[in-house]
Order: sequence, then structure tokens, then C-alpha cells
Amino acid sequence: MTAEPRPGIELVPPRRLLVAPVDVFFDLHPGDRALVADGDTIPVETPLADRLRDPRTAVVAGTARGDDAGEPGDRWSPAPGRRGQEREGERPGELLFRSGGRWRIGTGDHAEPLLAPFGGTVHEVRPGIGLRLRSGGRALVGVETLAGPTSGRLSIVTGPDGEVRAPQVDVSAAGAILVAGARIDAEALTRARAVGVRGVVVAGLGVKERRDFLASERRGRAAVHGLPPFAILVLDGAAGRPIASPVMDILRALEGRTVAIVVEPPCLVVDDPTVDLPRPPADLVWVRSGPLVGAEGRWAGLAGPRRFPGGVVLEAGFVRFGDRPPVAVPLGDLERFV
Amino acid sequence: MTAIPRAILAIDAGAATTAVAILGRLGGRWRLVGSLVGPAPVDPDDLASTLVARVRAADPGLADAIGLDPAAIEDLPRLEAHSSPPVSLGVLAASRRAVGLLTGVAERTSWRVVPASPESHDPREMTDLALRPEISALLVGASEPPGPDERAAIDDIAGLVAAVLRRRPELRVVVAGPIASRRSWADGLGEGFAQAAERILEAPPLGARSGPDEALREILEGLLPGAADTRHTAMRTLVSLADVLDRRIELIEIGFDGGLRAVAAPGVADDGPSAEGVRSAGGALVQPEPDEAAAEEVLAWTTGSLDRHRMGDRLRDLRSRPWADASGEGARLRLAAARAAMTRLVDVTPDLSARPAPDLTLVAGGAFAGAPGGSIVLAVADVVRRTGATQVALDHARLLGPLGTIDDPDDRRDLVADVADDLLSPLGSLVIAAGMPPRLRGRAATGTITLGAADGRDGNGGGGATGTKRELATGELAILDLAPGTQAEAILEFRDSARIGRRARRFSVPVSGGIAGVMVDLRDVPLRLPERRDRRRAALATWGEQVWPGDDR
Repeated sequence: MTAEPRPGIELVPPRRLLVAPVDVFFDLHPGDRALVADGDTIPVETPLADRLRDPRTAVVAGTARGDDAGEPGDRWSPAPGRRGQEREGERPGELLFRSGGRWRIGTGDHAEPLLAPFGGTVHEVRPGIGLRLRSGGRALVGVETLAGPTSGRLSIVTGPDGEVRAPQVDVSAAGAILVAGARIDAEALTRARAVGVRGVVVAGLGVKERRDFLASERRGRAAVHGLPPFAILVLDGAAGRPIASPVMDILRALEGRTVAIVVEPPCLVVDDPTVDLPRPPADLVWVRSGPLVGAEGRWAGLAGPRRFPGGVVLEAGFVRFGDRPPVAVPLGDLERFV
Repeated sequence: MTAIPRAILAIDAGAATTAVAILGRLGGRWRLVGSLVGPAPVDPDDLASTLVARVRAADPGLADAIGLDPAAIEDLPRLEAHSSPPVSLGVLAASRRAVGLLTGVAERTSWRVVPASPESHDPREMTDLALRPEISALLVGASEPPGPDERAAIDDIAGLVAAVLRRRPELRVVVAGPIASRRSWADGLGEGFAQAAERILEAPPLGARSGPDEALREILEGLLPGAADTRHTAMRTLVSLADVLDRRIELIEIGFDGGLRAVAAPGVADDGPSAEGVRSAGGALVQPEPDEAAAEEVLAWTTGSLDRHRMGDRLRDLRSRPWADASGEGARLRLAAARAAMTRLVDVTPDLSARPAPDLTLVAGGAFAGAPGGSIVLAVADVVRRTGATQVALDHARLLGPLGTIDDPDDRRDLVADVADDLLSPLGSLVIAAGMPPRLRGRAATGTITLGAADGRDGNGGGGATGTKRELATGELAILDLAPGTQAEAILEFRDSARIGRRARRFSVPVSGGIAGVMVDLRDVPLRLPERRDRRRAALATWGEQVWPGDDR
């Protein structure tokens, strides 16, 4: 049985570990084609939409349906007889707007499927904007997802404070989502992509690694064959810090299972409701910033306003790290898990 | 008949931190009993409960007198202001010039501006931008008649926006200029014209070189859900404060999602007190996606050895958890980011910069919470480069927003009159002089400053450091001690003429004491920092070491 924590812990910023149900937004852009409709219940890996890899604008004379004026957002397909005259509009596309009696459409030569990373019910399908997929599962919340969505088998390759480098990533990790500890460098990300890793979960991703990865993504998307699904879920932020133990405990409980990384909200989706996910003690607090970053301890009560380095006076709380006497830490530097 | 409450709970719920304050009615007037600031995710009622418990522990008699009970927080009458989450405005026009004019106006509002024109985006990309769910409204404009640069694409823009209006029934559009008269506009809206009409607001057209500033800003601000927004309500309190104190007051507020710069003046003759201000999303402490330019802006104000990437990391973390890492180097980073934000705010408010120095400069916002007083005055002096003398104070309990939620101006004025002394935490006085001959740069005895008693007699009356005389050198930042609450007269005499509001050799200005004393700033106006990073850091460090505690350098 867990004892009630000392008073004052309610002033420590709460961090929500898990959300349920999961309602995920997948963005679509003009020219993309939704393949599902409101209310559809779909299994994992169902194609949700065709996304254009090389979107562009084309000008066409009118809709292919004779007298129908057309509505913005409708699909446009060339009438068979028009081939040859409407060279720009040979590919199907999406009606954008009409000006000077001619329609502008969003179209492209190559599309790639957007696969559902988990099963659920589709709602709010809006052409050119996005669609939502709701699942009864749970999700571990992060702060940002780059690329994605994706799904794969969860594999832990280092400890919570570890850092993954390129030599540690090999082909045996193909198809997996790797838990990469505190940091991962850009070279390791590139190698992970190359050997078929489906995703990475990491505590911190610096702006340099972020920039390099996004540039690599852009190049890959522009290439002829495109890229397989891949995503990076950032759990905490840009600076390197260990993964907090309550988060790591959940990841360990999920190791070997299929999970998904999605973009909005940025989270790791667990579609299996039968998995027992551990919850931390109510008085556990984690230091997310400051000189004691990464340390975990037990809440020992409010310390009141204290003067900290820089001459700054901040509200603080006492935290007991191990068997040592309590230490005053600014409340803003702490997190508790709910 | 409604009984007058004995205590009020004031809540300023920001995006980074939440401040709660208890106002108690004692001896027939309202006083600030206490305040507490906590991280934004914390429930304000939990903060209030802790504050009330502290008041009760410190003075049970006082707590009983005003009826404070930690278990009955929900029974307290409340004045609650909050920071509205930022919303984005898509700005579309037929040419880069037209978009620039519209953007120039929109950046002087609380909207986050996302511009696009056919010269920067193709039609599909512009449609994509307008369809994004995070875009809450569109601003589309053209000159009357359309300029040569607009004629080629104005029909496309009109058709594009009309089509987006049909696809997004929740979207509102502000139309500035002859867009609605284009045929593609009517064709685009089609049969939905009547339904869309209520979502379309008309604004004056663009000029050749300027946008319709005041009228367009009013329309754009009116689209925001801002009734209890801190930056709206703070303006109302500022007007009451200027009236009560009979002083011209400038308010500079730097918040997490935007900034506010406003100037209020007391009433004259039959005219009541007035205020003019600009709220700008560009004045946010950290932009939502801090890029390399943002990192450079902050690096320009730092003395540490962070490179651009590490600074980018720090800014992203500050954006994601703005209540964290507020001590040590984190405190310095905040003040550097606050300077960068103030610079952006000052850049979009040249009309306010052109005014004479106010009697009182009031600094507000979570960016300054907890920082040493001298560092706040120095941050203001670094960025708001206007010659003159002004007292600097801090809204330490963050009452400006909550008090502004009182709708009745008379009731608000009465409450502000009661708590004005408690609301303002005096940081000191700032005197900025300029116009000294460059040949005197760095030499001692360019001039002198003498602090005398406020009534004009020399001597040590009034406490603090009155009677102090100090030599001044061009380019110097001098700080003289003057205790909080002390009034004095500063006599500045220069060998050659200088400018402190006006040009002369001898000046006599009233100054007030504070945590930072009297800061006399003889640096360049505008401030010119060395181009080389090491020299710039050395200059900033030299000035900074006077205001930051020595043990933390």
C-alpha cells in the first residue's frame, strides 16, 4: 500500500504519463486522397490515405463531370477525351479554387500510402486538412514527434541515461522501435533509417540532430523510391537527460510488443488494453532541470521561498534523495507523475 | 444589499507561471496581504490554499479579520485573468509588397502572423497554409485600386480565399481592399455567399506604402477571445493607475506568448485618463519554433560560452517547460531572452518610442519574476533607449491583469487607489543621457551627478545616499545607492552639453530609490554593442557584474 505523500506535493507540476482513449490527428494536404470515411472501423496497417510526395499546382479547364461546377476539395479526374489537351492536368487531383474560369488543382505524380499505425474508428475526415483515428488503447505522452507515423516492435537498446551511437545500430533492429536512452546522434539516426528501424524513442534530441534528421528526411522523401515509415518520439526536450524511471518502467513493460508512434499528439500508442503498465509511487518526484537534473527522490514537504544561484528567489520543495537529508529544489525544476 | 467582501483572491494564470494574491480589506481600505507564484500546470486553488495557510500561520488575527480559511478557498470572491493561448493569422495578398504592409500591421497585434504571397508560395501551398487547423483567421488585402504588382494574381487570391471559406466553416476572414468585388470571389463563394457573409469582416484598403494600422488592428484584436486576457485587462488597470498616481506610465510586459507595450497618461481638464498600447505576439519570451535566428538574437545578449546549437537546445527547453530552470544560468538566459523579446516589441512600436520618457516605467510579466531588481532595470536600459529620467517599478504580485477584470471604471479606480503602493515594487530610477561629444568617450569627469534631498536642500535628509557626488564618464553605466522609498533630486552637470530629454549642460531630475538605486546610463543611444562576440560579451559582463550577485558569476 502506498502512503499518502506529505502536503504540498500538489504544487509540483504534474506530468501525465498515460492518456486514454487515444484520439490521433493525421494531417492531409491539398492533393492527398483519403481512403477511409467517417465511422469506419479499421484494423492496424489499413491504408488511411494516399499522400503526394511531389505535390504541385496544375490548371485545368473544368471538372470532368460535364455541367457540374465542382466544389473546392472535390476530387478531379481527367475525362478520357481530354487527354492530350490538358497535359498539365493528366494526373488526378483535388480541386483548390477557380479563377478566370479555370480550376487550380493540387496534384502530383507519386503518392505513398499512409497506413494506420493502430486500429480504431475513423472520424472527422476533411479532404486537404486531415482525419482523426480514435482507439480505446493508451498512450505514453512525449513532447514532440519528428516524421512518422510508424509502428513496430519495441526494443530497449540502452539504459535510461545511455546514448546510442551508430555502431550500436545494426540490421537485427530492422522493424523495431528502439528506446535510445538520453540522447542519440545524427549519424545513429541515419544508420537506423538505413537498416530498416521503424522508430526511435529518446529523452532528448538537440537542435543540431533535429536539423540534420529533418534535412535527411526531406532528401529521402524527394528521392524516387521514397522512404519507409520512421518516427522519432522525443520524451522530454532538447537537452540530454535520463529517461525518468516511471517512463522507463512502462517502456520495459512494453518491450517486445507492437507499439505505434504518432505525431499529434506526440505519443507512443499501446493498442493492447490487456498490458499491465506500472504506476509510480505518489510521492516520487523527478528533477527535470537544474544542477540535479535526472535525480529522483521522495517528496518531503514545501520549503517556502528560497534564494538560489543568480540571486533568484523561488518557491521550493524539500526532496529526499536516497538516505541523505532533504534538499531544497525549486518547484519548477520538479515533476511528479500522475 | 450585497455585503462588501473582506478578502479577494486575484489570479493571473499565465502560460508559464500562475500568480495568486490575497487582497484584504483592513481599516477601511484594501491592502495586498500576500502573493505566491507557482508553475502554470499547478491548480490556482492549490496555490491559493498554500498562500492562505501561510498568512494564517504568520498572523492568525489578520487572517480572522479578513475571513481567510484554507479550506474555503472557493468561497473567496475572485478577480481572474489568464493568458489566452496564441492563435495564428494567415496573411495573404497578391504581391510581396502588399503582404509586407499587412504583416506590418498584424505584427502589432496578439496574432501570430504567417504570411504568404504568390511570390513566395504557389497556389497549392497557399491553400495548404490557409487550410491548416492552427490558422484561426485569414487577413487578405489589396490596394485600392490594385497596384501593378497585384493585378496578375489578385483574382487567384480572391478565388483561393473564397474556396477556403467554403471548406472551413469555422474560419473568419478580414478583407482589406477590393477583394470582394472580384468575380472569382463571388464565384468561389457560390451559393454559400449568404452563410459566409457573417464570417467576413471588411477593413480599409492598403495604401501604396502603408497599411490601415489603427482600424485594421482594432478589427484583428476584436477577433480574439480576449475579455479576460491578461494583456487586455492590464491596459485597463494601467489607465486607472495613471489616473490615481497622476503620472505618465509606460508598461512593458513580456509574457510567454506575447508582449505588451503601452503608455497611459492621467486626465487633463475635461479629458479622462487614456492609454495607447500595442500587444504583439512577437514580444513573446520565446517563439514557438525557435530557429537559428532566434538563438542568435538571444546569444547577442549573453555572456556565457554557449554556441548556437546549445542555445537552440536551451530555448526549445524553455519553450517546452517555461517554468523550469529559473535559477543560476537559467535566470541569465531568461533575462537575455527577455531583452531579445523587448527588442522585437520596441521594433514594432516606434510611435511609443518617439514619446518623451515616462514618469514611471512599469515592468511586468513572468519573464522578470524572481530576477534581481538591478538586472531588470539594466534589461530595460539596454533595450528602451530613450533619453530622460524614469522611475522603474515591477508588478511583483502580478495584479495588473486581475484588477483590470473589474468592468466598472470607478470601482476599479477605487481598488487601484487602495493597493497602488502595494502593487508597485520600486526597483529604482533610470537616467539615460546622450549627446556627449564622442571625443570625451572613456575619459573621467565628463560630468558629475549629485544626489540631493528632494526638497532641494543639500545634505543627507531622507536616508539612502543623498548628498552623494560622483563623476561620470561618457559610455559609462553608473549605479548610485538610494534606498527604496527615498525621494531625491539628481543634479547632473556636464562639461559640454548633453541630452536628457532636452539639450543642456545642467539638469535637475527627481529620482526615487529602489533595490537597484539610481542607474545613470551614459552609453550610446541607440546602444551599439561590439561586433566581435568576445568583446561584446566582455562589455555585457562589465555592465552585468554591477547588477548580478557577485557569488554567482
